[in-house]
Amino acid sequence: MDESIIKINNLVKKYRRFKKKEGIRGSLASLWKRKYEERIAINHIDLSVNEGEFTGLIGPNGAGKTTLIKMMTGIIAPSGGSIEVMGYYPNDLKNSFKKQYAVVMGQKSQLFFELTVNDTLRLFKEIYEMPVKEYQESRDYFINLFGVKDIMDVQVRALSLGERMKMELLAALLHNPRILFLDEPTIGLDAVASKQIRGFLKEVNKQRGTTIILVSHYMEDIKSLCQRTVVINNGIKVFDGKTDGLFAKYQKNKKLHVTFQNPPGDINFKTKLISVYEESPYKKVYEVAKQDVKALLTEITEYGLKDIIIEEEETGTIVERIYKEGGVNCV
Amino acid sequence: MYKYWEISKTYMKTQLVWRADVIFNMVFTVTKILFAYLLWGMVFKDRDMAGMFSFNGMLSYYIASSFLSQLEMSGGISAEIYDRIRNGTFSKYMVIPAGIERYFLAMEFGIVLFYIPFDFIAAIIWIFIFRVNFTFTMDLQVIVCAAVIAFLGLLFMAQLNYLLGIMALKFPGIQTFLMIKDNLAMLITGGIVPLALFPESVINILKILPFYYVTYLPAMLFSGFCREEAVSGIFIILFWCIVVQAVINVLWKKYVKKYQGAGI
Repeated sequence: MDESIIKINNLVKKYRRFKKKEGIRGSLASLWKRKYEERIAINHIDLSVNEGEFTGLIGPNGAGKTTLIKMMTGIIAPSGGSIEVMGYYPNDLKNSFKKQYAVVMGQKSQLFFELTVNDTLRLFKEIYEMPVKEYQESRDYFINLFGVKDIMDVQVRALSLGERMKMELLAALLHNPRILFLDEPTIGLDAVASKQIRGFLKEVNKQRGTTIILVSHYMEDIKSLCQRTVVINNGIKVFDGKTDGLFAKYQKNKKLHVTFQNPPGDINFKTKLISVYEESPYKKVYEVAKQDVKALLTEITEYGLKDIIIEEEETGTIVERIYKEGGVNCV
Repeated sequence: MYKYWEISKTYMKTQLVWRADVIFNMVFTVTKILFAYLLWGMVFKDRDMAGMFSFNGMLSYYIASSFLSQLEMSGGISAEIYDRIRNGTFSKYMVIPAGIERYFLAMEFGIVLFYIPFDFIAAIIWIFIFRVNFTFTMDLQVIVCAAVIAFLGLLFMAQLNYLLGIMALKFPGIQTFLMIKDNLAMLITGGIVPLALFPESVINILKILPFYYVTYLPAMLFSGFCREEAVSGIFIILFWCIVVQAVINVLWKKYVKKYQGAGI
């Protein structure tokens, strides 16, 4: 039996974008004759997502991730192919469809900035036609989960970014959606707030069985939350498979930001370095193969280590590598 | 329907946040009539009548007209839709299970409902302070017709502004047009001078158009003029509401596919 809650076949999204030459002359010329270029944001993508899955959607800037989310939520219409979410064509924007999902976009708020979160929740209770008991239970559940009882009556514009994101999630999850679309929910948040948000999402997916589609640039989000990852580049799906498999196969190197107690001078490591990004007297940044990190660390400690940060490879690098090695790995 | 009432209440609450806006709105109502008082005082200095108006009749018209035009705040609908389409945040209204047009109508209703008492108080204060011999019709049928026309007129303007707002899906560069529209609407709804002072040929044209019925005719009816137009006015403005709704339905289906959500 097909358990797919999202079915996408051969999906295409093309759009035009305005172009002009620089300067006043360019602006005047564009007033007379406007030039557009056609871009393919999504290029023949196939995707299916099962109910309850936690799927990560990654790719470099401009890859088409947000466009895909916008098509799945009905915000924009596809140019070609087929898309079905919970049995609906999203861009019909039927209320019965919209009642069953929620979307949180990092930079687009659903909250009323002048009012308190409680005011927005009261509105959402009516908009989503929630029975009083269900509303109260759901509201209490999330207030406890997010630990936000004390700030429910504070004007939204006075909340910190981290608090606001918790509130966005609370408002989105209040009606217990079947699918939650998240576009960069941890953008701009500090490490503590990001970790908290990740914890909430894990809980919601596990306890409520909510299907979650997560777009994020942060590898930590994807690694710790998503069983499955879809990688998009230039509108094309370049990887679709288990997250563990993706990182094991394509995240090959790590960056070590090392600060020494005293200038170590020139060091000849036995461990093979991929590259050296920074070399000041006290601080050096090395890139090394994942399996060589331990060996390099052992060597570095001999030179009086003050501080060290180990950084994962960026999405862009991984995508580039997948692209070079080619092939779409299917689930 | 309850969801739309809650939307209205939410926007009433947002109005309460900014106290200065409330005060200035009241002050603006009073200064507008004060300006009319000075202007028409000079006009009536050497004469008893201007067109069909006596000085008191003119001030009565201004008080009724100002009250209604202060309630006509639907320019905010087109501005909000236009801004959100241009900066890519219109999706806020697309992803919630509520009709988008109804959402904006409910929003407008909430804001108008909030301002009604303030505008009413401003009008009453004005009548007492300047001791205007306010002429108000006592004909119940005319009062009911005027109220219905005023309601439909405000609805029409809200629909029109919604329509103009969604036009930004197709024509994102219509900001100047929206500004001109606001000023033009002020003139052709009789907000600046009573339309009765225009040449008859112009009035005959305006009578076919909906703007005549938004604030001008209801204000005239409340002030005891144009009684014979009371019933026909309802049908004409109703006709325009239906027409503009049909246009909205057609254009929304056509233009929503053009939305790219590009911006922030």
